[in-house]
Formats: sequence, structure tokens, C-alpha cells
Amino acid sequence: MKDRLFRDILPQVSKPARYTGGEVNMIKKDWEGAQAKMVFAFPDVYEVGMSHIGGKILYGLVNEKSNHLMERSFAPWPDLEEVMRRENIPLYSLESFRPLGDFDVVGFSLQYELSITNVLNMLDLSGIPLWSSERGKGCPLVIAGGPVVFNPEPFAEFFDAFLIGDGEEVTLEFLDCVYKNREMERNELLLKLAQIEGVYIPALYQVEYKDDDTIKKMSPLVREAPIKVRRRVIEDLDQAYYPDKPIVPYMDIVHDRAVLEVMRGCQRSCRFCHAGMVYRPVRERSVGTLKKQAAAQLASTGYEEISLASLSTLDYSGVSPLVKDLVKEYGPQGTGVSLPSLRVDAFSIDLANEVQKVRKTTLTLAPEAGTQRLRDIINKNISDEQLFSAVEAAFKSGWNSLKLYFMIGLPGETEADLDGTIELIRKVKAIGDQYSRRPVEIRASLASFVPKAHTPFQWRAQNSIEELDKKRRYMMREKHRRIKLSFHDSETSYLEGVIARGDRRLAAAIYKAWEKGCKFDGWSEYFHFDHWIEALQECNIDPDFYNLRRRNYEEVFPWDFIETGIDREYLIEENERAEKGISTPDCRQEGCRDCGVCMALGVDLQIKEGYSVAVES
Amino acid sequence: MRLRAEYSVGSDLRFLSTLDMMKLMARTLRRARIPFALSEGFNPHIRLSLGTVLPVGLWSKREYFDLELEQEMSCSEFVEKMNLTLPPDVKIIACIQIAATIPALMNSINCACYSFVVRKPVEEMEQWKDIVLQRDDLIVKSRGKKKDLDKNLRPGILKIEVNRWQNFAIIDIWGSIGEPLNVRYDELTELLVLTGINKEDILDVYRSGNYIRVKDKIFTPLEKVK
Repeated sequence: MKDRLFRDILPQVSKPARYTGGEVNMIKKDWEGAQAKMVFAFPDVYEVGMSHIGGKILYGLVNEKSNHLMERSFAPWPDLEEVMRRENIPLYSLESFRPLGDFDVVGFSLQYELSITNVLNMLDLSGIPLWSSERGKGCPLVIAGGPVVFNPEPFAEFFDAFLIGDGEEVTLEFLDCVYKNREMERNELLLKLAQIEGVYIPALYQVEYKDDDTIKKMSPLVREAPIKVRRRVIEDLDQAYYPDKPIVPYMDIVHDRAVLEVMRGCQRSCRFCHAGMVYRPVRERSVGTLKKQAAAQLASTGYEEISLASLSTLDYSGVSPLVKDLVKEYGPQGTGVSLPSLRVDAFSIDLANEVQKVRKTTLTLAPEAGTQRLRDIINKNISDEQLFSAVEAAFKSGWNSLKLYFMIGLPGETEADLDGTIELIRKVKAIGDQYSRRPVEIRASLASFVPKAHTPFQWRAQNSIEELDKKRRYMMREKHRRIKLSFHDSETSYLEGVIARGDRRLAAAIYKAWEKGCKFDGWSEYFHFDHWIEALQECNIDPDFYNLRRRNYEEVFPWDFIETGIDREYLIEENERAEKGISTPDCRQEGCRDCGVCMALGVDLQIKEGYSVAVES
Repeated sequence: MRLRAEYSVGSDLRFLSTLDMMKLMARTLRRARIPFALSEGFNPHIRLSLGTVLPVGLWSKREYFDLELEQEMSCSEFVEKMNLTLPPDVKIIACIQIAATIPALMNSINCACYSFVVRKPVEEMEQWKDIVLQRDDLIVKSRGKKKDLDKNLRPGILKIEVNRWQNFAIIDIWGSIGEPLNVRYDELTELLVLTGINKEDILDVYRSGNYIRVKDKIFTPLEKVK
């Protein structure tokens, strides 16, 4: 297989280094000696998949800490797919070049709603039946994890199991169970797996609908299946496994650097933010642990950059000493530190300056909305003054371009807010022009707001494509020199919205869309909205039902059976406060807001480097 | 201190671009804790320069890089440390210290040898060689900048040797690199096909060396450092 690939197949395709494996720190375990065999399948190309931290963690964990084995596979780019289909080459793993069908478990990482067509395409290329009900004896278990599976329902019929929550907490338990019961009939094995906390087996549930198409009831078909599936959560991140020897790809990947996960979770409570809700509470690693991990990773990889990742790295209580120590330790060898996202305040800029001593980075700030009123609605707790002081600090210290993130289509948004956004950008530019010798450049990215499950905005309607396009045209009506606005594609956002709050009935349309050739839907050159609309129509599904409708508090949602730990009452209260334009502070600063997570999951806030530091900074 | 190293790139890494190879070397230098020198400026980088670009798809017996060190280190120690750290398909073969005044590899390598493993009797290929070398022009379609224009390779073909390897013949073709005539391996492949060798009979292609030609003499970059 490998010889044929290297000799005949790969020379025909673009970027062949995506498909060769054999990278530094790759782990190829003995196939016969391993217990359960799992392939980590990422439904996007190599350079995207290899940039993902979760995959690095699981790969190291399974291969280093258990007798199971994990290999990797990524979606082939359409040029290779064509050759594979023509030459009858199944999708294979990069370690042992075995077809995916040889594994016991094929585990997909779902980071993005629209990657589902790539999942189907990868299964098809592997010769594995796409529908869970069609997979029998000898077929791998097809499972999924990742942020998208907090509403797994649109994909329920394609997967045998979903793993909900922190993967390092549940994956080994899952594989142990698969291995221990390997002689069992598939159906019996699924009953066993259903009893592991955090595992959801969709075939064991039935859903009944009302006349108005909303859900009447979702209930387990067997007593082994829990009524609610509770997400798994790492209690102590500081003690949790983290890979010291991540794979170092040969080719350029999206995030080509060493990564430290300084903390998990965020409780700024931005009301639109899915990750901010489903990964609570904040659990930090200590500076000591992170420095050890940095040393080990740099020694084993030779990376020239180390990134401090999390949902809001500047909120990490130890960020200041950590950055300073890393710069001091590794700067002389030309190894830089990078902060993926900055908080909007002057403290963040000071720290960015610290980082810039070694390597110049792009400066990105995310005000999200252009007016104080709208920021209060979405609970993005920053003021104009904070933003301006951050911007001033940045330009004073020599940056001459800036990137700003906003959203459009937010609840309660009016024309005045759109004007406010433009006005804000212009003010930012004016501040820059004062301090810089030549006129500064401002790039603003405007994403479309997509209401997500498990957030306070899960009851809200999304803007229609027409509304979003109208807002875009309105904001673009005047050109401004050296201000560049870029908007997300409204059709893509619309479809994301449909799937994000979709239910089981969508599976038929997803399948049809794939049949019509949809894949790489996240890549604009491959996104065919018309195919999706046709597919939905042919299945008699009205997509507006899923995202243009304002829902009431009594409605049963497809994802209600997934227990994230957050109380429904908290989400309702936050939605009500949004309605009134009242913001809610971070629980680290002003005490518990009773979201319910710590109680429900028996966990606690973990602030490692001092509560006062966290509060002040 | 400045070093010049000769290394091989195995078949498993033949799809790496030059940029990928550059990163591979830089990261190996860091892992092996070689006392490399850094450039000045906002984006400091290791003072490492690779020789001519190895085309994506080819493996190679001999490639070269120059490296500056901040501290003294013996060549043998360098080779040993690197080879312990490099991926299995890259090996440092040799390394020498060179003077700061020696011109960069990029500016001095002007010829390369491409080797074709062919499923044909050696005797037949000897005859083929004589016929090819007697020709005044060898026209193929250009693959480089002037895509698809006719290109005469003959002035750039400096030497051809045929050797036996198991049941196959290995044709080594030395071609000029850079200006005025750049002979590419895929153009040579076409030449083989145009002169009667079936594509299916070409079992492998690799680069067997890079050279510095002065008048009629051909030196390796390790030889030409005085």
C-alpha cells in the first residue's frame, strides 16, 4: 500500500506531504500487540487537523498511557480523493497505512457543524457504511467528540456513540470497555458503553414530535441508557495528561508551533459564546507545570515558537510571570512566545509588548459589538475607554496595524449599532494616526452571529440571509481609507445555524447534500449552498424552522438531554438580562452567579496563581 | 565558525519542499542543541542556508547546507549529534569547516546529477547514451518559466554515465543548473521517453549529487572550498 502510494499516487496530487506520515514524534505501535485500535479521524485537511490541540492530547494519551493504539487520518483534498476513487484506494491511517475499516473505533473530532459532509465522505472512502443502523459485525464503531457534539442530534443516525465533554477523561474508559467486551455482539456492546458517564448512544433513544414539529419527548428505549447524558469534566487540569512530545509536521500547518493549554473554560459569560458555557468552570494549570511542559515540548520538537492557548489567555492568573519567564528563558535562542487572543485593555498590550521583544506578532482585539448598549446585551464587558486605552497603548508601542473582531446580526441590534461599529473603527484609526508616523491600517472582521445550543441565546432567532446581506451593504456603503471590512459569508452562517440547533430529522438532508457532492463546506471554493437547499427541500425540511424562529421557554430542545452542568434557569435569566440590557460580571470577580456547573459536576473554580491576581488583571 | 554539511534525503521524505527541509533542519538543530548563530532583527532566524532546491518528489544521495555557529564545535561532534536527532530518512554524511569568505552554495552550485533507474540491459543503454550525446540538439517541452516552449537540453548536458545495478541500468546525467540553461529532472525524464525508453521502465529517479563546475572540471561542494 505504502509503496504504491509513494510511487504511483502521491506524485499526482498537490501537497503530497499531507499524506505520508512518518513525522518526528509520530508513534507507531505494534498492531498485534495493541488492545483496542482506534483511529483519530479529523474531517478536514492535514494542516487544519494537525493544528488542533485536542487531537494531540488524545493521541499522546492513548499511545503513551494505555495498551490501546491510536493512529491518525485526515480528509484527503479532492484531487487525491479523485485518484483514490479511480484506483480503488481506501482511506488509510498515516501510521500503518491501514484502511480505516481495520480499526475497532473510528473517532471523529467535530469542531465545526459543516464538517459533517467530510465525515460522510471519509467513511465512504473507507468503505464503511454511513448509517449507524447499516453497520454490523466487523465494522468499526464510529464515534465523535468535540464542541459540536453538545448538540449531537443532527448527526445522531451516522454515529454509534458520542463522547461528551473532556476527551482525556472518558476516552480510555471507552476503549477499555470496547476491548474488554470485544467478543460481544455489537448491540450488547453498545448497551455496555451507554453506561459509561459521558457516552451517548443515539440508537438507544427515541424522539416524538408535536404537530408543530417541535419535540414532544425524547426518551431512552432501554434501561441501560441514561435519561440525561452528563458531560465529562477534568477536575484538576494541573494533574491531567498533556503531551510532552507532540508530532512535528514536515509541511506548513495552520498553527505550526508548540502549544501550552494554560487553562480550560472561561466565565466571562459572553451570552453568545458556546465554548464559554459548555467548558465551565475555569480550571487553570500552575505556572510551574506549564514551564515544565514548555521545556519538554521545546526539547522534543525544536519549535521556534510557543503559544499560550485557552479561551481567554489574558485571564489566566499566571499569565504575566509565565510570559516573562518564557521570554527570558527561550528568547536568546530565538524562540518566541505568542498570545492567540488579547483582552481589550492596556494590561494586555503591555504583555504583548513583552512578547514582541522576540518576535513581532499581529495584534488582534475583539470588541464584538460597536456600542456599549449592544455589548451589555451580549455581556461583552468592556467599555469604550478600555478599548481606546488598549489601542493607544498598542500604537504608542509601535504597532501600525490592528485587527478587530465584531459580530453582526446580534440580538437587539439596530442601525445605530452598525453605525457605532464603523464609528468605533474610525476612532481607533484616528488614535493610531496620532501616534504613528504613517497612517495606520485597521482590518475588521465581521462574523455573523449564529445562536448556539446551551447558550442564553438558544431561544433567539438568527438573522436571515437577507437581513445579514442588507447590514453588510449598509456598512459598506461608504469606503474609508485604510479601513478594511471583511464579512463572513451569510449563506454559510445560515446553514451553520440550521445545524447548530437542528434535530435528528436533518440527517436525511445532510446525507442528500453529501450525495450531491457537498464536502469541505467550510472552504468557500467548495461550498455549494444551492445543493444544500435542494437537499433540504427534497427531504421536506424547512430550514427556517431551525434558525429563524424565536423559541419559547417551554419548548423541549433536541440537546436538552445533554447535561453541561449549567442550569436552564441560569440561561433563562441571562437571556432576560440581555433583553433588559443588563450585564453580568465574571464570577471570579464578583462572586458566584449560580450557573450551576460547580454544584452539578462536583468541581470547582481552579485559580492557581492567586485570586487577587485574577481579579486585578 | 562556519560549517558545510553533506546530507542525504531518503525516499520517505521525497515530497518535502525546500521550505519544509529548511524547517526540518532548523528544528533538528534546536533539538540537538547545536550552538547555532542567529540573525539580527525582529524575526531572528538560524543562519542556515540550503543549496539548490531539491524538486518535490525526488530523494537525493547528496545535498548540502551551510551553517554558522556561535561557538566552536568539532565537525565529528556535529555530525554525531545531528544524526542522533534527525528523522531516519535524513543523514549527515560529512561535514567540514569552511572559511567565511567561501561563496554561498546557492551562488556556486551550477550542476547536478540526476539518476534514472531503468529496466533495460546496460548494453542497450550504452548505445542509447552514444546516440544521445552525438545529437546536436535534444528538444523537449520546457517545464520551467517558459512553460511548453521548445527547449534544447543538449548544451546543458555535461556528461552521461551508465552503470549496472542488479538487473537494471542506472543512467546518471549531469546537467547544468541556473543560468544560462537550467536542466530539470522532469525535462530529462521526457528526453528519455522521447528517445525510446518507456515511462513504465523508469523505475526510480533521484538526485545523486550537486556540483561546482569550473571550466571542464566538476567538484563537489566539499572539495571546492579552498
